Amino acid sequence: MLEVSLTPTPCYVFGVNVGLSVVTAWCILALLLITLVVINIFVVRRMKPIPTGAQNVVELMVDGVHRWAEGKIGHAADFVAPVVMTLMAYVFCNTVIELFGLPPSTDDINCTFAMGLCTFITVNVTGLKFRGGIRGRIQGLCTPSVIVMPIRILTDFIAPCSIAIRLFANVMVGGIIMQLIYMVVPIILPAAIASYFNILHVGIQTFVLGLLTLVYVSEAIE
Amino acid sequence: MTLGIIAIGAAIAALCGAGAALGMGNATGKAVEAIARQPEAAGKINSSLMFGLIMMETCAVYALLVGILIVFILGGKAA
Repeated sequence: MLEVSLTPTPCYVFGVNVGLSVVTAWCILALLLITLVVINIFVVRRMKPIPTGAQNVVELMVDGVHRWAEGKIGHAADFVAPVVMTLMAYVFCNTVIELFGLPPSTDDINCTFAMGLCTFITVNVTGLKFRGGIRGRIQGLCTPSVIVMPIRILTDFIAPCSIAIRLFANVMVGGIIMQLIYMVVPIILPAAIASYFNILHVGIQTFVLGLLTLVYVSEAIE
Repeated sequence: MTLGIIAIGAAIAALCGAGAALGMGNATGKAVEAIARQPEAAGKINSSLMFGLIMMETCAVYALLVGILIVFILGGKAA
């Protein structure tokens, strides 16, 4: 029968229940770190003026995100683009492992809420940095008039919750639909549909997370 | 009896999808019109459209989440 629960799957590390998603996220972080160190040693330290091979891929990703951010938020992109890239890489890797039959850690609302908090902190730090301290930020919050200030503050606080619930619901529902399809047609069809839910859908969610972060930042600094 | 009422509740939550679909269709139609009128502004129109679509999709996803919670959590308790 279909299993759906909102509470994270328990997983004990040294007698402490930290939840399965946290352990998965640790493994993913270790893998990402190793990959980055390898890329740093073999690609970044041997950068050539005319890129070849792996350098092309690395430059394409970094430059792509940077240019995308620059189109949305202008000169603040130098500060925000690395954060957005990190968030996107983390969410993508944590969700795409569903393809290999592992439990995705974004299936847990704690993980996605942490992503939302990262966005919230990024937005506020960028707002403070590029609007010149607390005074500029408050001025930015009551831009058209003072009356809208409570609403804008509320919007700022709802944003991380919105991001968290969207990501969580999308990943969870993808998993539920896959389980339903496995129950009805156990062969061939799941392979075709998994390529949508586990690759394309993950890519869309990653893109949406990055886009939302950039849009909230652009609202905070303008 | 209780299960039936829970199912009706989930169905009402799913009605939110109609609103989201109307909004998405409207927004996409308007964006296509705008691009047809002014093809050089396609990039800007597309990014605004994407943001609007994400917001509408969020609305639909909330309804989906509420429906799923009603069916599995409430339904599991009632059954």
